[in-house]
Amino acid sequence: MERREVLKLLASAAALPALSSPAFSLFRGIHAQIAEMPGLKTLNPHQNATVTTIAELIIPRTNTPGAKAVKVNEFIDLILSEWYDKEDTARFLSGLNGVDERSLDLFGNKFIDCASDQQNQILKQLDEEAVNDLVKYSVPTGTKLDDIANPPSFFQMMKKLTLIGYYTSEAGFEEELHRTIIPAGHAGCAPIPEELAN
Amino acid sequence: MAIKTYDAIVIGSGMSGGWAAKELTEKGMETLVLEAGRSIVPEVDYVEHVPTWEVKFRGLRDRKALMRDQPVQIEIGDEWNAKFFVNDHEEPYTTPPDQPYLYLRGRHVGGRSIMWGRQSYRWSDLDFEANLKEGIGVDWPIRYKDIEPWYDYVEDFIGVSGQSEGLPQLPDGKFLPPMEMNCAELVMKDIIAKTYGGKRVMTIGRTAILTQPHRGRAACHYCGPCARGCITRSYFSSVNSTLPAAQATGKLTLRPFSIVHSLIFDSQTRKVKGIRVIDAQSRETLEFHGRIVFLCASTLESARILLNSATPEFPDGLANSNGQVGRNLMDHLCQVGASGTLAGNEDKMQIGNRPNGIYVPRFRNVTEKHPGFLRGYGFQGGGSRPGWERGFSMQGFGADFKHELRRPGPWKFSFGGFGECLPHPENHAEIDKGRVDAWGVPTLRISCKWRDNELAICKDMVMTAAEMLEAAGAKDIVLQDNPSPPGVGIHEMGSARMGHDPKTSVLNAHNQAHDVKNLFITDGSCMVSSACQNPSLTYMALTARACDYAVGLTKRGEL
Repeated sequence: MERREVLKLLASAAALPALSSPAFSLFRGIHAQIAEMPGLKTLNPHQNATVTTIAELIIPRTNTPGAKAVKVNEFIDLILSEWYDKEDTARFLSGLNGVDERSLDLFGNKFIDCASDQQNQILKQLDEEAVNDLVKYSVPTGTKLDDIANPPSFFQMMKKLTLIGYYTSEAGFEEELHRTIIPAGHAGCAPIPEELAN
Repeated sequence: MAIKTYDAIVIGSGMSGGWAAKELTEKGMETLVLEAGRSIVPEVDYVEHVPTWEVKFRGLRDRKALMRDQPVQIEIGDEWNAKFFVNDHEEPYTTPPDQPYLYLRGRHVGGRSIMWGRQSYRWSDLDFEANLKEGIGVDWPIRYKDIEPWYDYVEDFIGVSGQSEGLPQLPDGKFLPPMEMNCAELVMKDIIAKTYGGKRVMTIGRTAILTQPHRGRAACHYCGPCARGCITRSYFSSVNSTLPAAQATGKLTLRPFSIVHSLIFDSQTRKVKGIRVIDAQSRETLEFHGRIVFLCASTLESARILLNSATPEFPDGLANSNGQVGRNLMDHLCQVGASGTLAGNEDKMQIGNRPNGIYVPRFRNVTEKHPGFLRGYGFQGGGSRPGWERGFSMQGFGADFKHELRRPGPWKFSFGGFGECLPHPENHAEIDKGRVDAWGVPTLRISCKWRDNELAICKDMVMTAAEMLEAAGAKDIVLQDNPSPPGVGIHEMGSARMGHDPKTSVLNAHNQAHDVKNLFITDGSCMVSSACQNPSLTYMALTARACDYAVGLTKRGEL
């Protein structure tokens, strides 16, 4: 079925009464409420600022939005509050604090107050350590958060959550990955579209 | 007021119950379908187009709720369709501590036909003759020629896409056009053909998904996550297909929230006269009467209902004079195989989300006898290019890293085996004395484990998967050699087997209970062996065949 036909079918009230009717708007409404929930449950303002800064360094704004614009910090707060076990949240927060300790040690400032090249330098260290740990423990690379034999380090958690938060956001999915819920159709072996190749 | 007597009562509305409902009503029978779970309203319940950013945990699932309410069902499903799986506290079962069994299921109209894998393969005489030739279990009372017209009939109605291959061990069907293979699959297909000279074959999965409009249902639009529902009704489920057909006859009464406690046996007529039901909402006990009964509640539930229906004549459970009900439980050995990285085709990718993979039909014990084990296995799997998830373990961050993750990663290929399980009387389910579910119905204790033949198959599966990857020049080959516990294949079958002899089997060649003439059981319980092919198509064909037989008996006054 061609994508435009599907879209037509989905938009057609005759074929699918409930999709264009209150049931569907109700569904949208519920999700709008989730998105609008104010306030963070775990991260304090300083931790939030640090998480937001690190996430944006991992996935910065380019010609498409970055981690900050899609509120990866709020997703991370949700995971810390409602998904992780307490020990994992504690390890994350202690590792987050460790970032400040490192920046104070190296540059005399908390991480968010460092110059951007200093922040990059710290992130490079954290990233190298995290990847070395991965090699050392020969970690599988699945999508579950708990697939790591050894408890994941702060930066492993941070990077993974940033990528999930970003690429599962509307902008990450549609603008960065150029994907749509209803694809153009199916082709088994097609040239990589230009917008993904460049 | 006298209780209305239906021409037929069908217990269960899933894969086989939906077919029984369609066939019986279309043949003029006033039919009551009893479904234990709730109704499904596609426009509300189907969620395949809800984007990730509209689900709370972005696809990571509500882990704490799952661990609390669905500690078994957590094995399967996703954040969208967790609602299609049961609450494990409401519907408990037990196992011996050393025999884990994962009983994965839903309770709603449509049953597992909503979340099934849709792979649809015919069985052959290699399967139907195996027990007799090898002296395992009992002989199938049917052969391929008995079921072939019913495979045709079912495929014509549900729509199965696939490629004919002319293989005796995997008969071709009436296929809609096949889905396309992707780049890595085309490479692998070629390598397999060259390396094994026809002894091993790779074909595109045969799947109950429409590749062109069919009987009023739309073709697939490749959105991908079928197990969350399908608003265009492009894959087969009873909700999408058989139940609407039954509804259209005006002869169907579908009653959700109807938990069957037991069957009521009339010792004078020696027939089932009715069904004892607990209304899941009011918890009232109700009775429904019917002239014939189709038990299609699923392999384990149907056994449970029979075992819970003991009478003075059948102290061990209805239709269980020989003690075979609940025994010979089988599932497919799975989650075993190998994967690797395939170089080449870096500038190409798959467009759209094809909800199907490839299939390597059974090649062991087809023409030559394997020294290590009986029967065999098939592989499912396919090629794919990992997306941004590979960034979890990649070094880097920043604009270049982001840019890199926009491109798909290197081609991967994986083979996952589905291995045949032999019927063994000690693999069984029984009533767990003293334990009941949330509605007071006695529950099951399931004792099932892989035995020597399955474990030997498992070893071979890993080796042959790796062999094919090596032949294709794959790198970084990873072996999966630890089979999942029974149940995970979700192909449980065998608990009320068919057979020639009433002394050793529960059902005859037409799925009619030897002991109780107006009782037919057509879900997975009737299976005499497990083959290695996905079984749903066979359940559907056997159901249609049994309905034809039962209605014939009824019309001739022979019941």
